[in-house]
Amino acid sequence: MTTPIAEAPYLDISDPTFAMQSEALRNARDQSWYARTNYGIAVLRYEEVTKLLKDPRLKQGSAQWPEHHGVHSGLFYDWWTKNLLVLEGEDHHRIRRLLNPAFSPRLLKSLVPRFQALANELVDAFINKGECEFVSDFAEPYATRVLTIMLGIPESEWPTIARLASTIGLALGVTLKQDLHKVEEALTELYEYAEDLIKDRQANPGEDFVSRLVLASRDGDSLSDAELRNALVLLIFGGMDTTRNQLGLAMQSFMRNPDQWQLLAERPELGSKALEEVMRINPTVTWVTREAVEDFSYEGLDVLKGTTVHLFTQSAGTDPKAFPEPEMNLLGEHAPHHGFGGGVHHCLGHFVARSDMSEALPLLARRLRNPQINGADEWMPDSGNTGPTRLPISFTKGE
Amino acid sequence: MKIFVDRQLCENHGQCAIAAPDVFRMNSEGILEYEENVNDSLLADVEDAMDACPVQAIFIQDQP
Repeated sequence: MTTPIAEAPYLDISDPTFAMQSEALRNARDQSWYARTNYGIAVLRYEEVTKLLKDPRLKQGSAQWPEHHGVHSGLFYDWWTKNLLVLEGEDHHRIRRLLNPAFSPRLLKSLVPRFQALANELVDAFINKGECEFVSDFAEPYATRVLTIMLGIPESEWPTIARLASTIGLALGVTLKQDLHKVEEALTELYEYAEDLIKDRQANPGEDFVSRLVLASRDGDSLSDAELRNALVLLIFGGMDTTRNQLGLAMQSFMRNPDQWQLLAERPELGSKALEEVMRINPTVTWVTREAVEDFSYEGLDVLKGTTVHLFTQSAGTDPKAFPEPEMNLLGEHAPHHGFGGGVHHCLGHFVARSDMSEALPLLARRLRNPQINGADEWMPDSGNTGPTRLPISFTKGE
Repeated sequence: MKIFVDRQLCENHGQCAIAAPDVFRMNSEGILEYEENVNDSLLADVEDAMDACPVQAIFIQDQP
């Protein structure tokens, strides 16, 4: 039976202290499959999140983001409103059809040795100290240099890419309007990068990722230069912060589960499982946003057209109804998580993220034994995309 | 060619229906329906669908 809306639990999701992994949220999930929030409803349980994620009566819910924050035109507005994330129907499908083949898992296999070499190089730089600041010494350079490898630009340029990606990331904050100038400057700079890359690969196409995008065609259709530029910026925007944050969250989860870290060090073939488990219990994307395209009734709740629906990924991934033993278990058989979203908007770059992180985790487990917090950690709020901004750790040197 | 989708793996994301709409479609409940016997001329589209499937649940049973 569904709790009437007036009696459903209430969560203030824009409160900076709002915590996903909290008693309040667990109590709300026990009481009801959904909660009211200051911004639409939140879906808390696995079964309902799984169904609503792909329900055709909901669309991706971020199209109005700039306008909800007072931005109605300009460079950022134009990029946002034409990016794959917010496009729907055939406009979306056409671009997705042209982009998808470049992200094929078959094409990524050849990059695995480079991901491993990169992870080892970064660890080599600090392993003898027995400590590091995990975000700036590993997670951020790893995530960003993977992007430079994908894009075929010199890895030495990673600090510029990291800076631009982080600045554009400000656009996802509620302070978008006051940050708009910085966001648009970074976007201008990234456009120049993207345009140079596109021109270069058009003149000298190869087998690399950007060449595949430039050459992509389907039924006589191909991506325009503006569409290519938009897509490359989306790749940088969507690929850097998320991977950096997810690696930091992985380290947090494994420090809480040292037996699992030990197991991963002994059995590197569990790398993929390790990533899936971390994304189930501790995902960086804490909710996926949807918007009702029509009035409908679901499990006794009337959802009106235009209602924002937040699908809570961590709450669903640890729901005791679906996971009687929700703790991290690399040897367990768990239902799929929703950390990459789902449906037609399922994360485009997930094969890249899965490949690079599932290589990094066992390598870290083997080389950084018994990691412990070593100083003050700092965190982003739990709303939307979260993760540590500073995570000092100490460890015993492994190999 | 003959197509097989492993329903144990399939999560109904619908990426195949974007890649190869002549072969795969999502019904009004959001559940995948597909043609099992497909003209070989659609091989490129089917391969795109196989690649794009987030859970890699699509297989060709008799490769042309």
